[in-house]
Amino acid sequence: MRGKHPPVAAAGPSASTAATPTTTDAAAGFRDLLPDEAESMRGSSEAILAEMRRWGYRYVVTPTLEPESVLSLGLGPEQRRRLFKFADADGSLLAIVGEKTVPVARLVSGRLRSARLPLRLCYAASVLANDGGRFSNRRETHQAGAELVGAAGPVADAEVIALAVRCLDAAGLRRYQVDVGHSEFFHGLLAGLRLDADVEVGVKAALAARDFVSLERLLGATPLKSAEQELLLRFPALRGGREILDAASRLVSNRRSEQALDELARVHELLGLHGLGEVVSLDLGAIRDFDYYSGVTFEAFGPDLGRSLAAGGRYDGLLERFGRPAPATGFVVYLDLVAEAMARSGEAPVLPRIDAAVAWSGKGLKQAVRLASSLRLFGMRAVLDTEARQAAEAADWWKVIGASNLVHCSGAATAAWTSRKGKTRRLPPEQVVGQLSGAAL
Amino acid sequence: MLLEGSLELLAEAGVARLDPKQLGRRLLIEKDGVRVVLVRPADVPAYVDFGAADLGLVGKDQLWENPGGHYELVDLGFGACRLVLAVPESSRLAGPDTWPPVLRVATKYPRATTAFFAANGSGADIVRLHGSVELAPQVGLADAIVDLTATGNTLRENRLRVVAEVGSSTARLIANQASLKTRGDELQAVVKHLAEAVRKG
Repeated sequence: MRGKHPPVAAAGPSASTAATPTTTDAAAGFRDLLPDEAESMRGSSEAILAEMRRWGYRYVVTPTLEPESVLSLGLGPEQRRRLFKFADADGSLLAIVGEKTVPVARLVSGRLRSARLPLRLCYAASVLANDGGRFSNRRETHQAGAELVGAAGPVADAEVIALAVRCLDAAGLRRYQVDVGHSEFFHGLLAGLRLDADVEVGVKAALAARDFVSLERLLGATPLKSAEQELLLRFPALRGGREILDAASRLVSNRRSEQALDELARVHELLGLHGLGEVVSLDLGAIRDFDYYSGVTFEAFGPDLGRSLAAGGRYDGLLERFGRPAPATGFVVYLDLVAEAMARSGEAPVLPRIDAAVAWSGKGLKQAVRLASSLRLFGMRAVLDTEARQAAEAADWWKVIGASNLVHCSGAATAAWTSRKGKTRRLPPEQVVGQLSGAAL
Repeated sequence: MLLEGSLELLAEAGVARLDPKQLGRRLLIEKDGVRVVLVRPADVPAYVDFGAADLGLVGKDQLWENPGGHYELVDLGFGACRLVLAVPESSRLAGPDTWPPVLRVATKYPRATTAFFAANGSGADIVRLHGSVELAPQVGLADAIVDLTATGNTLRENRLRVVAEVGSSTARLIANQASLKTRGDELQAVVKHLAEAVRKG
């Protein structure tokens, strides 16, 4: 009830608000990213990939399309339903990838079959879903992710969580928190309850829907009452620091859940070593949508978004489905949501601007070309005019380009440099370059 | 319909004391450190799922149409009503064995209706309406309706007869997924107070 501002809607229909699409509209559910937004997203994507590289993750590109049968090996019914599917020329079914973990698992079990484990791989790509689900009518989203294949145990779990956090840092996010859970904790509880098969199906469905009213009703109708049942009903509140592990371990009496608690304790300790004690909480009631998770899982949340910015976890059973059994863990960062979170909290990066608009007239072209090249050599952004203009018209062109400085060359000897403040000085070209690069540094 | 019960509950739980008369036409009230937003029932899941509101008080009937995306935490008990399949009194339709292969049904609840007919193994052409659903069978728009009823009065007035119950609904407390994590302690405290107030009745 303590509300925040409602989320900004995705960019609406462009030219036509009526039902008829025009030839300048993107397809429904797809959209163009304009320079400000596109550059910002590319910036965070590059920063994230650079961070992954520093941790030894190698960049891979997997195809946009996969045989539907390949993706089906790793996805649950709901994710399968959402895939964009169509028939290949030979009649076989193809699908556009909706997430990259399954294709990477195929790659590791396929062309990388003889590569020794562990493998550290990363990717950045756009993925498609036929419908955006409850939260969005976007069908294309952008992701960057990393997978650590062939490493079991808490040290690998903690590495992947720590890397995810550092990636959010690298993208420029300042306020977020990370919840770490364990899928086996829940599975252990459920097995321990020894429910009738049909009740168990109902319990799983209720938990997947996060419907605790139905869950309470289902468990209330079973004859046995146990501490473990109570624990299941308190799922949304099983969250906190190290202390909740001790509290939970007093209530569970099955080996699987106990082991999950032990692993979480170890991961929590290791995350402390990584320097992440502040941002990490433990969430024993975490419920995740992908059914391939088999161990420690995590999600990162921003302050106002209502959804996770990054998510991942252990999926030890997935590679086996491709014929190369190996433990694995990984995560994905949702680049669209990271951009949205930063824009909303005022953390959006300062966008790159053009440093100099280089205009020319008469014999000044040669000088202008050289001057623009020199500026670029110094790492500045310089735009060279495509036609001759006198100083007065050049000022109008400068405004169109939106650069910080205007340099006008009309001869070989000097160039006229106008800064944003509007003061114009005539200087030899090399001095203009010196002044501009000095100011830019 | 749930407004009165919701305001009573918020007061009993000590979350916020709001007088329905004072509310008038205000949609947004800040009181006792809590911000209360008044929206149409069908819009409550959207406010909560997208994080504009941390918690929502809403009928289960609305959750059938907007599943997932939030935690459903407490059955608040009030606002009881049934979602029913009703036909004109003159109709020969009764139990599932009397339904034609494809029944045309008008409703504001297309998801719940689809699920109901699927579970009964029969087909339905669903006509989605936004109000006055009772009218549809009288003018030949549909063979039957699926609509919410608390007392049955509206159905009787429109000479409709209930032939099956599709579901029963009460008010529920729902919570945004991320809020439960990013502001867990504050939110859990409010949830606890509300659940206790419900238990005391």
